[in-house]
Amino acid sequence: MNKRRARFLVFKAPSRQELEGYAFVLPCVLMLLLVLGFPVTIAVLNSFTPLWSEAKTFTLENYVKLARDDLFWNALSITLRFVGSTVLLHLIVGLAVAVALNAQIKGHRFFRVIAILPWTVPDVISGLIWRFMYNPTSGIINDLVRSSGVTRSYIEWLAHPRLALPSVIFSDVWRGYPFVMIILLAGLQAIPRELYEAARVDGATAFQEFRHITIPLLKRMIIISVALDTIWQFRRFGLVYNMTFGGPGHVTEILSLYVYKQYFRYFNFEYASAVAVVMAVIMLIISFPYVRMIVRRV
Amino acid sequence: MKRGYLWLSTVVVLTLIVAACAPAATPAPTPPPEETPAAPTPVPPTPPPEKVTLLFSDWHLTEPHWEAALIDAFETFKAEHPNIDIELDYVSYADKETKYTTEIEAGMGPDVFHLHAYSIQSFLGKGYLYDITPLIEAEGGDDFLKSWYPQTLALMQDSEGKYYAMPGDFMSMVLFYNKNLFEEAGLDPDKPPTTWDEFLEYAKALTRDRDGDGEIDTWGFGTIGAIDPGFELRVSPILFGHGGDYLTPDNKCSALNTPEAKEAFKFFVELVTVHEVVPPGVTAQNPGTVREQMAAEQIAMLLGSGWTPPIVDGVNPDLNALEVLEAAPVPVKAGEAPEFSTTAWLSTWMINPNTKHPEEAWELVKFITSKEMEQKWFDDANVLSPRQDVSGEYEPLLSNKFAAVIAAELAHAKFVPQIKEWPQIIEAVNTAAQEGFTGAKSPEQALEDAYNRINEILSVYREAGETCPAF
Repeated sequence: MNKRRARFLVFKAPSRQELEGYAFVLPCVLMLLLVLGFPVTIAVLNSFTPLWSEAKTFTLENYVKLARDDLFWNALSITLRFVGSTVLLHLIVGLAVAVALNAQIKGHRFFRVIAILPWTVPDVISGLIWRFMYNPTSGIINDLVRSSGVTRSYIEWLAHPRLALPSVIFSDVWRGYPFVMIILLAGLQAIPRELYEAARVDGATAFQEFRHITIPLLKRMIIISVALDTIWQFRRFGLVYNMTFGGPGHVTEILSLYVYKQYFRYFNFEYASAVAVVMAVIMLIISFPYVRMIVRRV
Repeated sequence: MKRGYLWLSTVVVLTLIVAACAPAATPAPTPPPEETPAAPTPVPPTPPPEKVTLLFSDWHLTEPHWEAALIDAFETFKAEHPNIDIELDYVSYADKETKYTTEIEAGMGPDVFHLHAYSIQSFLGKGYLYDITPLIEAEGGDDFLKSWYPQTLALMQDSEGKYYAMPGDFMSMVLFYNKNLFEEAGLDPDKPPTTWDEFLEYAKALTRDRDGDGEIDTWGFGTIGAIDPGFELRVSPILFGHGGDYLTPDNKCSALNTPEAKEAFKFFVELVTVHEVVPPGVTAQNPGTVREQMAAEQIAMLLGSGWTPPIVDGVNPDLNALEVLEAAPVPVKAGEAPEFSTTAWLSTWMINPNTKHPEEAWELVKFITSKEMEQKWFDDANVLSPRQDVSGEYEPLLSNKFAAVIAAELAHAKFVPQIKEWPQIIEAVNTAAQEGFTGAKSPEQALEDAYNRINEILSVYREAGETCPAF
């Protein structure tokens, strides 16, 4: 038996300091168990219950149905495309704005406030605003496009199957980039200025500084922001609900919306629970690297 | 000190959690009074009944003209029932099912609430409705119900004949049109289209450039293409008017494979894709945006009902909608006189099974559905009643230019199938329409996919080995 395994078998009474630590986190753990553990347990139990049946017997039928459900696989595919695109674009735009705001220019505090404003707009509100802006006949976007002479036709941003998802993604990038930007800006401000000064003395170009100083020292922040943003984006609901409700057809139907429809519109509580459980498992897998990183640091 | 504080705070948090989860305290039982010799004591006056507050929820409360009407009516109710107070619970039209489902599942929710008739089967299946049969029996049973249209009462029952709701607004869908735009386009406003062929000709004539900038700015017809509960009311008249239907009579298979249904669906889709008589972006249009288009004179015709004129008038008072708009029966297929040419809208008043005051809630439902109040709903909100002694007899209603058409069309109106799978079924049709509108699929292919999806949904009603015909 090696030393590491043997250590687990020896009971060691916690120290007073450790007990104090547990006492501090206990209320929080209990509250979490109450508000998270209870609904999760109910959802998992529901997912193993027959559809529309009063008999609470155990069944796998919801998971079998899910495996054969084309609309579930479509929603999963749309979700992956939506999450992949938005997370990548949040990172690119967020990093670019963070670098710009990190420069010691006059009024940089003002620009930081402006840049963060989209993050303060609730999902529902931004969904409605963008829906109005995308309106083919009275929206400002078509007004600009038509008056600029690019085209005279009414572009159906949210009504065309090829444009609807990119249009929603564009709105989400506007809404979501400040979250990534704030994390990266904090990371940028923690990089010592001396490193850049030394690089300049050595004749490094701005690109070389960015590649060999900024990116390596920002790596941890980038991983954290991407991991957190992925989890957030996977759960995104209000924006799509208000902009397209999954249409036209099913081209913008993300998983969270599919669960909502199954639960609240079709009253298929048990099937909706099964989809939600699968969604939670996928999110756990996605968040695993982030959780591992946090645990290692602790 | 520090340790003591920690334990104290932990105990407080645990106590709060346990207290929150504990059942409500009940008063301790009082011992029975000791027997005393009878004495001629004066009888104390009966204490006034305990004041009860009912929570009333209705999407109508978000519409100013309805809100004013309901608040006004409740003042009368409270004067008649001094022991009952009413608290208003505002909910949007789109969110009502979500809200009620969540609240009733949690053992809460409004005492009285308002929904579509087709929600009855879904809510019944989940146990979300209070059985009002004994309350109706206490009022006189059939004698009490004789004032209502029988077809509306039939929808309020389960398979055993028990009642779970009372009928609310009852209207047929009709064609509304802007007579000024008709005149501008050279059409006679006194001769609205009577067949779908005529309708298409009118829609083409009304689709034009009115301001002379070379761009189309007014379209002949506005309709809903978004995934929206209002979609069924706009597509059903076209389907029924062509002689088609959604389901077979036994509800076991889709009926969208009939030539009539195929023709109706193709006609509906081609209004957008071929004839271009509908404004761009139809798949994002919901009832509100279509009414806004009517208010802004961007469209000349739409399918609507009693609620349409006051809402359009509210959006743009300058239009003078009550004067400019006209109503006509929904067109039918040329050379045919189908039994049903439109669909009927029916809402319902329901009592929450979680209510602690069913008797008082029933008093409120009885009041809302009384003859006097049904007349008031017409006077204030322009909606028709499921009561025959109102929609069939109330003189102001029969002489109103909109209500007269809507009331007359009730005889040609058919309800959509009343099964709990209906929301899924109509969404399959709605999705097919979107796929057709956007050209993602041909109308035939989109309809075939919807047909197969509906048959899959209905498989729970078929015996093993029972199949539906191919598309």
